[in-house]
Amino acid sequence: MAGSQSQASTLVARGGRSSSNAPTGAAGALRRRPVRGSGGSGTTKAQQAAMNFYTDDTPGWKMSPVVVITMSLSFIAFVTILHVVGKFQKAA
Amino acid sequence: MAGFRPLNLVRPFLSVLPDVQQADRRVPFREKFLYTAVTLFIFLVCSQLPLYGIKTNSSSDPFYWVRVIMASNRGTCMELGISPIVTSGLVMQLLAGSKIIDVDNSVKADRELLNGAQKLLGVLITIGEAVAYVVSGMYGDVRELGAVNAILIITQLFMAGIIVICLDELLQKGYGLGSGISLFIATNICESIIWKAFSPYTITGPRGAEFEGAIIAMFHLLITRSDKVRGLKEAFYRTNLPNMTNLMATILIFLVVIYFQGFRVDLPVRNKRARGQQGNYPIKLFYTSNMPIILQSALVSNLYFISQLLYKRYGGNMLVQLLGRWQQTEYGGGQMIPVGGLVYYISPPSSLTEVAQNPLHALFYVTFMLTACALFSKTWIEVSGSSASDVAKQLKEQQMFIQGHRDTTASLKKELNRYIPIAAAFGGMCIGALTIVADFMGAIGSGTGILLAVTIIYQYFETYEKEKAQAPGSLF
Repeated sequence: MAGSQSQASTLVARGGRSSSNAPTGAAGALRRRPVRGSGGSGTTKAQQAAMNFYTDDTPGWKMSPVVVITMSLSFIAFVTILHVVGKFQKAA
Repeated sequence: MAGFRPLNLVRPFLSVLPDVQQADRRVPFREKFLYTAVTLFIFLVCSQLPLYGIKTNSSSDPFYWVRVIMASNRGTCMELGISPIVTSGLVMQLLAGSKIIDVDNSVKADRELLNGAQKLLGVLITIGEAVAYVVSGMYGDVRELGAVNAILIITQLFMAGIIVICLDELLQKGYGLGSGISLFIATNICESIIWKAFSPYTITGPRGAEFEGAIIAMFHLLITRSDKVRGLKEAFYRTNLPNMTNLMATILIFLVVIYFQGFRVDLPVRNKRARGQQGNYPIKLFYTSNMPIILQSALVSNLYFISQLLYKRYGGNMLVQLLGRWQQTEYGGGQMIPVGGLVYYISPPSSLTEVAQNPLHALFYVTFMLTACALFSKTWIEVSGSSASDVAKQLKEQQMFIQGHRDTTASLKKELNRYIPIAAAFGGMCIGALTIVADFMGAIGSGTGILLAVTIIYQYFETYEKEKAQAPGSLF
């Protein structure tokens, strides 16, 4: 949505859906965020249901933002500890 | 849905991929800012933290060209930077654009599969690159490193890669401002510009000790030299270190790009539901923003990497030589530069004298840049869902129609089609041309880098304005 989001800037304020997602342009668009709930042209209810059976609520290892940050910080700590342990081993 | 779809192969893997929750509420600006700052902090720490277990760092750096753009830092946890994400994005775009994998962008499941596929590919590329780096002996001979260290290095690189993917997703899913990729790129480039301008390092050259930073060096030269005019001249034209001309070129390009950002065509639209409500739908000249440049540099950097590896191993092969011949430079720490083959022709000429010597090279380079940027820009609008038909659908949903035209999606699409593809292609070409100009003027951090930085900073500025308009008073 990158392009269109930055485009929408002077659009009359209405249904802020497309403009409320702040990330604009660039790499923001490398991965598209789902914009509409579900459905779309041409699919029947049944088809939708069949497909949502697999992918409703994106499967995957769910993480909250706090988990991501904790993970990153523990990674940094891990590498630092490696360095420290390495130094001691060399000295011993 | 009949027949075999390659995209479905991704489905089993989706459940093991890390996935950041979508923000289920509107995250206030202050919190967004905080998340962005923490992310940036983690990134900066990672790009200074050396990898554990590496022995040497002296061999030539195959990614020397793209360090800045890929936000990576030699010998640190950010060795890979964002290259896996960008490369996987590029590959998926090419696959989807060329219809090798068919994606119906209007189906939610399909979009999710595509996202999943892209993430999976990103993870695979991370593993691949990590193993390739270690095995190719970038950190010292594998036998010398030992199996434990080699595995440790691969683990560290892999973990760092996953973290970058998660952080990028964290920002994109509405917890932060912009995207991780653009944040990291912009930070890296700004860092290098500031460093080149104010670096307090002294380097002893043929003219005695000199400061590396352009501005500091200028004052130093003005104060120490008895002949002030010659001192000033030296500050402006020294060739071995960043000089004032480079800095001025950087600032000039900065201003030009910001000026061009304002170029747009306003389509008058009216609302069908609320009578009398009117507005403009702007189509910007830089419709796809910096995307063409990111994709083009991802393509070129991967070509460089492959060609360099091949040339080292099978330098005698005719086909490999046709792809690219490489040579070590005398100065610059044994950096490899392309001297022949296809890779040479798509690399920027280093100086005006080289242009005069081999005008064909310059011509080919310019043509390549412009075409690649225009093409990437045009395919990008299809993939990212900002093509005429997508925009028409969006406007229709909001009950917006162009004034003086019928209220149908078809007429909307027809009208938008008059502008969007042209804006995309021409805008892409302009971005390419600006990159070339910046490169020739010697802007700090390469033309590509500076262009990325400016467009990203401009986007952040726009985001800020938008947030301010939506929630006045909640900002600082």
